Amino acid sequence: MLNILCCIKQVPDVDQVKMDPETGSLIRAGVPAILNPLDANALEAALQVKERYGGTICCVTMGPEQAAEALRECLAAGADKAVLLSDRAFANADTLATSYVIYMAAKNLGKFDLIFCGKESLDGATGQMAAQLAERFDAGLLSSVLKIQDLDEEGGCITAIRELENGKEVAQALLPCLITVEKQNFRPKLPSLKSWIASRRAEILQFDSGGIPGLDFRRIGDPGSPTKVPRTYPPKLGERGIMIDCGNMKENLDQLMDVLAQVL
Amino acid sequence: MDKREYKDMWVGIEHEQGRIEEVSLELCCQIRKLADLAGEKLAAVVAGELPESQIARILDCGVDKLIQVEGSGYEQFSADAYTELYTVLCRKHRPSAVFIGGTSKGRDFAPRFAARLETGCTSDSTELVYNMDSGDIEFIEPAVGGRIMAVISIPELRPQVATIRPGTFKYQPAGRRYCQLLKEKLDFDPGKARSRRLEFIEESRDDSLDIREAQVIVCVGKAVKADSLPLYKELADRLGGKLACTRPVFDRGLLPYKLVIGQSGVTVRPKLLLSFGVSGAINHVTGFSDAGMVVAINTDPSAAIFNCADYGMVADMDEVCKLILERLRPGV
Ligand SMILES: Cc1cc2nc3c(=O)[nH]c(=O)nc-3n(C[C@H](O)[C@H](O)[C@H](O)COP(=O)(O)OP(=O)(O)OC[C@H]3O[C@@H](n4cnc5c(N)ncnc54)[C@H](O)[C@@H]3O)c2cc1C
Ligand SMILES: Nc1ncnc2c1ncn2[C@@H]1O[C@H](COP(=O)(O)O)[C@@H](O)[C@H]1O
Repeated sequence: MLNILCCIKQVPDVDQVKMDPETGSLIRAGVPAILNPLDANALEAALQVKERYGGTICCVTMGPEQAAEALRECLAAGADKAVLLSDRAFANADTLATSYVIYMAAKNLGKFDLIFCGKESLDGATGQMAAQLAERFDAGLLSSVLKIQDLDEEGGCITAIRELENGKEVAQALLPCLITVEKQNFRPKLPSLKSWIASRRAEILQFDSGGIPGLDFRRIGDPGSPTKVPRTYPPKLGERGIMIDCGNMKENLDQLMDVLAQVL
Repeated sequence: MDKREYKDMWVGIEHEQGRIEEVSLELCCQIRKLADLAGEKLAAVVAGELPESQIARILDCGVDKLIQVEGSGYEQFSADAYTELYTVLCRKHRPSAVFIGGTSKGRDFAPRFAARLETGCTSDSTELVYNMDSGDIEFIEPAVGGRIMAVISIPELRPQVATIRPGTFKYQPAGRRYCQLLKEKLDFDPGKARSRRLEFIEESRDDSLDIREAQVIVCVGKAVKADSLPLYKELADRLGGKLACTRPVFDRGLLPYKLVIGQSGVTVRPKLLLSFGVSGAINHVTGFSDAGMVVAINTDPSAAIFNCADYGMVADMDEVCKLILERLRPGV
């Protein structure tokens, strides 16, 4: 039976993050945390595979305790199992350390044929996790998948259509394989009330660093992350442009047309 | 690791059917400047066959070294082959940094060889700064939906790996320098490839989807109504230009991804950009920082887009679009 892993992440809804105009710092308080939108598409793709070929889906996230909420959302959508990797020692992880922890935890959970993850996250937004998870799992990678054409469990391979810059590619990869998807054909469905209620009560497996056998502590969290963020600063706003404001629309438009005429 | 032992900045050259991807040359031009500041050499890495005329384009960017890799396994792009290649080359030559174009290919293998080397990888920075004191490159990119700029560095490990989106930097060849040629031989065992292409369906070239070179662009933001889209298309047509959009417009399924301008979309350099109902998030505006003239229409007088515009008007987008169209329609 197919064993599917889906890596998901809870992210702040960045659209709702405001900036303090006085201090230039970000106001994160009160910003809702959501399931990373592209992860919902990845999960939907996993669910479609399960529907066609059978199997079980395990969703995993490395994050704070609150991230359990995002996992419940996945359970409501149809995932079979949810795993939360939570420990202070995981904090400040970049993609190298995150992919390591997820891999080490997954090794302990089973042998996965397919691993799904989001194309990028709203907050981290590196879009690197797919390639790095594939490396950790010693797996193939099919990124930007539009459609999964065929899965041959016995032959151990998967065929999919991928979206590239100048066209589409039909590609085949060996299992295990890591997959990211384009959102078009994998729009998440709303869960039924029944599965939503069930997800509230469902068990979420939780592991801290001590619960993951063989974990090398030098390779997790801050110490295991080669990329650092030494500082941030507010984007420099350019000077305000000339505002066309003559008091009435006709004159405004005259001026606008003059401006356009300058360059056309 | 003693990072001083790692020298030279590399640019990986991506090519297909004998043609180099523009982004590779853009990177050669930009990293030329960075290497000079760091007092390091710039090397271009080419795997597989490439005609002389294309090699000449690399040399024109002022590379100090050309690392040419011969061997089997590079005829058709394979992320597995490239991961192995860069892992082996980096271990042998110890570059301080490796830059790869942020294309679908580059994004599939660059973070992967970085992981194999257990070093850091950054993606999509829009600005690169060489820090003289630390000797590290500062990769600067918009974060949290463009509300802040984040400086990212890889202070301890080498090489510093980065993918950079096409169009982020300009193609401005600095002219030739003395260039050392280094030949490497490395065969990739096809049995180790985890994936392969079965078929390629080339997109019938739809010119309207290619906004990179457009001289005039009409860009619509999230506020656009689905019903009004034809108006903006007409406006673009009448101005001899092309229609483009912000990412939320794509997210709503209204326009294709190829029309998204910005950090994760396309970088454009039109003579004129007319922006309708766009708030002006950094993620978006970095995509047209070199536009000739920008004119923005937005109902919100405090919208940041007015700070990126030469001219602005506080008004309803559809109203203004219709009025411009009236004046442009023949016979008026
Ligand atoms: C990692 C990451 C990468 C991203 N990359 C990109 C990218 O490459 N490109 C991109 O575009 N975005 C990108 N974004 C999203 C970006 O941060 C912004 O969310 C997006 O650019 C906002 O689009 P918008 O201005 O169309 O929408 P909004 O911010 O919602 O702005 C809509 C504007 O329309 C105005 N408006 C409303 N009604 C009217 C009307 N009737 N007439 C005139 N004006 C009106 C409003 O005042 C408002 O200013 C990225 C985000 C992340 C997190
Ligand atoms: N902490 C995490 N736990 C589980 N999955 C993650 C985590 N961080 C990133 N991912 C996965 O990797 C994808 C890409 O993330 P990023 O590289 O941050 O853009 C996300 O969409 C998730 O699927």
